[in-house]
Amino acid sequence: MVMKVLSADHAVAWGVRLARAEVVPAFPITPQTLIMELLAEFIYDGEMDADFIPAESEHSVMSVAVGASAGGVRTFTATSSQGLALMHEMLYAAPQTRLPIVMANVNRSLGAAAGIWAEHNDSMPERESGWLQVYVEDGQEALDMTIQAYRLAEDRRVLLPIMVCLDGFILSHTVERLELPDQRAVDDFLPKFAPQDVLDPEEPKTFNPIVPPEYAMEMRYQLDRAMDGASSVVAEVDSVFASSFGRSYGGLLEKYRMDDAEYALITLGTATSTARTIVDELRAAGKRAGLIKLRFMRPFPHEKLREACKGLKALGVFDRSVGFNRFGPVFTEVRNSLYDLKIPITDHIGGIGGRDVTLNDMRDIYAALERSTENGKVRPVTWHGLRGVQR
Amino acid sequence: MAAQAFAEAAVLSGHHAQAFPYFGAERRGAPVRAFARVDDAKITIKSQIYEPDLVVILDESLLEIDPVVDGLKAEGRAVVNTMKGPEELDLGVSVDCAAVDASIIALETIKAPIVNTAILGALARMTDLVTIEAVKQAISDRFGEKLGPQAAAANSLAAELAYQRAKVGRCKGERPIVQRKVWLPDWEKVPPGVVLAQDSVEGVAIGPGSSLTNFTGTWRTVTPRYLKEKCIRCLRCWFCCPEGCIKRQPDDYEKWDYRYCKGCGICSNVCPVQAIVMEKGVKEW
Repeated sequence: MVMKVLSADHAVAWGVRLARAEVVPAFPITPQTLIMELLAEFIYDGEMDADFIPAESEHSVMSVAVGASAGGVRTFTATSSQGLALMHEMLYAAPQTRLPIVMANVNRSLGAAAGIWAEHNDSMPERESGWLQVYVEDGQEALDMTIQAYRLAEDRRVLLPIMVCLDGFILSHTVERLELPDQRAVDDFLPKFAPQDVLDPEEPKTFNPIVPPEYAMEMRYQLDRAMDGASSVVAEVDSVFASSFGRSYGGLLEKYRMDDAEYALITLGTATSTARTIVDELRAAGKRAGLIKLRFMRPFPHEKLREACKGLKALGVFDRSVGFNRFGPVFTEVRNSLYDLKIPITDHIGGIGGRDVTLNDMRDIYAALERSTENGKVRPVTWHGLRGVQR
Repeated sequence: MAAQAFAEAAVLSGHHAQAFPYFGAERRGAPVRAFARVDDAKITIKSQIYEPDLVVILDESLLEIDPVVDGLKAEGRAVVNTMKGPEELDLGVSVDCAAVDASIIALETIKAPIVNTAILGALARMTDLVTIEAVKQAISDRFGEKLGPQAAAANSLAAELAYQRAKVGRCKGERPIVQRKVWLPDWEKVPPGVVLAQDSVEGVAIGPGSSLTNFTGTWRTVTPRYLKEKCIRCLRCWFCCPEGCIKRQPDDYEKWDYRYCKGCGICSNVCPVQAIVMEKGVKEW
């Protein structure tokens, strides 16, 4: 184990190197760029035995990734924003073909209004693509999840691609102290990728043919069950990782100071870090505030979330994306899962287009949640940090 | 890079640290902010810093255009790249201050006016969060890996010299802190579709024609010199200038509008007869 000071983008690249990915198709886009730059260096310097394949677009990148993964090699790529949008069509090829591709998506807003800063409106619309989605909070988690992602995706019970999502700039370009796992320990945790079916001209098989209505429905249901079943594998992989490397992230979600909590906020990604600080502040003042870090949007932790929220008098959801016509996507999914628990749930939208999510934003949100426990009036949806009167 | 190297030095000095940049316009030399936090425990906050304990100012001229010391705590500290001594310096807030001629040191050591390593030496004088040894180690790690051992040594030397030459004292706080004119409309006042008319520019130059008021000529460090006697009037320079600052004359000879010339050198590069040479410095003919 070595200690390093790395940006989260570089942490992802180190994760890919330690996982011994063999094919890396790439197309540049900010703020993902640092990942591919470092991987290109690793490969050029012979520190990583992989093919770096520059493609002419993200659509082609994902096509290469699908081909490589079907060929039985561990595959990685990374993108952001418009890049992910351009991949949209090819994203769908991976899950139903059961290809365990790992992709980092460095969350960035999708133009117009064009910007390079963090927002979740790029990855949220891909919830229905059949990819697993995990959102990470810091550089260490970005590194660890990149390694875990392969074990999870390649598990025979799962066999689905996974998107590791990290907030652009505020995470991707933030350097932090982190531990670089030992290569031998990673090799033990992550044995060589050994798929059951390999695209090999010597032993011809048909991959992903046209599927008439007689079969498509069964295939979709199979995929639905695989996604659902991934829930228990997420927890399993997390605990095996913890026993090898001493770090656990709680699986599908992490509960932070939730024992006896009366009100809590659900966050994804870096907003979690900032919320932790405020929860500590409130707890020190004797308030019963808690925090739930939602890590996976797919599989969505329906059961775990219900368990975690039982007994709460008020719940807030922090959305770094907009659903337009009111609610954000995370709120919609959370309320759907908790519908019959009858907890008052409010939506808190912030950090849009990379607007800084401040400690004061978090204080405001928790103050609203506290009001909500006392039957005080709280807007169903509040935009935090917005200029002007909301109506 | 300075913030990142500082974070690394803090880690090497036994702390937890984080550092991150906030980019605006992407060009070399453009004003940019970067933030760093140091703590003995793991840092669980991911937002910008609004009330810094310490401000590092890499370019003194920023004081004229940006409220760089905004939010600096009364007991805060500053590190400034300046030719002045700390007592002559007026930051608009009186704080303990390390003043260092980082630009001169950079020119002496790395032969370029890039001050982000020299300034770290002065920073090590101002705070005991990092030792000068840790700063030099961090610089060697970060710059050595990218630019090789020679660059690492030159940059470490820059930090060492700044550490020695920094003058520590109390700066003045007399001048009013400059406030930047910003356009921050309420949501209802943002033009639908973000369509901006020429006269809608308020504080920020984003409407059409705004490049007229944005004198990009201040960016350049080299200047094209036009040798009219060599010119064959092929017009390639006029055609290729990305800023449109080469003015075609009625006789097809050229004139330069240096207010907008960034010194990119494209005109010189495309000239088939070497009638445009790039000269060091900001000049006009």
